[in-house]
Amino acid sequence: MQSTLQILTKIIADKLEVEPATISAESTLEALGLDSLDTFDIIFSAEEIFDIKVPNDQVNISTLQDVVDLFDRLIKEQHPA
Amino acid sequence: MPHTPRRVAITGLGLVSPLGDSPDIFFTNLLAGKSGIARIKADWVEQLDNKIAAQADFDPTEHFTKQQIAVMDRVSQFSVYTAQQALKDAGLKLQRADLQRAGVYLGTGMGGAGSIEEGYARLYRDGANRLKPFTVLMAMNNAAASQIALEFGLQGPNLTFCTACSSSTIAIGEAYRQIRHGYADTMLAGGSEALLTYGTLKAWEALRTLAQEDPTDASASCKPFAANRTGLVLGEGAAMLVLEDMQRAKARGARIYGEISGYGTANDSAHITQPTVDAQANAMRAALDCAGLQPSDIGYINAHGTATILNDATESSAIKQVFGEFAASIPVSSTKSMHGHLMGAAGAVELLATTLAVVSGSIPPTMNLLEPDPACDLDYTPNAARHGVKMKHAMSNSFAFGGTGAVLIVSKPD
Repeated sequence: MQSTLQILTKIIADKLEVEPATISAESTLEALGLDSLDTFDIIFSAEEIFDIKVPNDQVNISTLQDVVDLFDRLIKEQHPA
Repeated sequence: MPHTPRRVAITGLGLVSPLGDSPDIFFTNLLAGKSGIARIKADWVEQLDNKIAAQADFDPTEHFTKQQIAVMDRVSQFSVYTAQQALKDAGLKLQRADLQRAGVYLGTGMGGAGSIEEGYARLYRDGANRLKPFTVLMAMNNAAASQIALEFGLQGPNLTFCTACSSSTIAIGEAYRQIRHGYADTMLAGGSEALLTYGTLKAWEALRTLAQEDPTDASASCKPFAANRTGLVLGEGAAMLVLEDMQRAKARGARIYGEISGYGTANDSAHITQPTVDAQANAMRAALDCAGLQPSDIGYINAHGTATILNDATESSAIKQVFGEFAASIPVSSTKSMHGHLMGAAGAVELLATTLAVVSGSIPPTMNLLEPDPACDLDYTPNAARHGVKMKHAMSNSFAFGGTGAVLIVSKPD
């Protein structure tokens, strides 16, 4: 199974039309060329894939790792095993 | 800003249409009498009663990145692409100071109709409970103009005009006034429309103004001024023009296609859809007055000519009212017989055709005019282009549901 990081990396790589290898977890979204609207778009795509809902007050994120952590936490909260 | 009125040059053309995505190809096709009207290519076509339209063969992935496409409705893809074409055609490199005096005026009837429909289909049909984050930005009516301004860094006026079928004629006319009266030096002006969606076509179907499909040739279904006309055929596309202060255009050695020499508008306050002769005539007269021209000066009229029963008879009478004894000898044509009715983009596409007619001395025909209507008794350039026509000035008419009539006059450069 793909990790949260792999899935998010793929979403971003698809959007930017770049190779996933060029994207690391430590990259800030800004450095990747993603503005706040792009971030909402990525969160939207990821919400569909993980079947979760990201509350409005939790989208304060800087690096890709922040997004991964956010999703891992919300997946646990919203889909307890 | 006191100014003596300035002259306004057309120096660049850009176009996406059902008859090709460059002005040259489009005009060649018009002169050849080709039609862009056909059975709609879409998986919902069988659910329509009226199954024909004029679709543009436009693949956004050839012109934009995935990231751009994700935030631009088809109407904005059309507008930005045609603006790019027009600026390139004009050979215009806008510097920093120029950009503050450069703007965009665009007409559109339904803006990002496809994005709004896609969003609502998700909610109502698919039962989703949230929409894509860019839905508002793609659907809003001013997106097509704003994406142009963003792309080229335009800092002058940025306005969107929404007057149904006359939207882009109004946009070009108002842009002409911005330059004429000194508020801007360069304007990108035109219109864009991408409304060939299932819901929009159903709405038009309900209005009972769409043409019946010709039983032997779908591409001949739009028959302006003919006795057997049955209505309009919807189309999609865009045209953008670069307008410049004539002096600046000449100073930089620009190729000048023509001059916008007159613009007139008049409202038809009688009915939401039914046109009146007087209101259409008032708009034509206003344009002639603005240009300081006499009826006998006009060498060609690109008619609104929708192929609805009411418009074509009304417009013919209005032309007779304005042009009097000269009406019978002025070639008129409705190019909608070939490219369909592009709604908010119609006026811009037709002004482009009118401009190229003045430049080339070739008048595109009204196709499918095989059964004359006694109520339409002018010279409609039926079924074949006319070449070698000497003309200095030509008129392009746009009238609209809602009442806003608009007329432009384009003149040969001196």
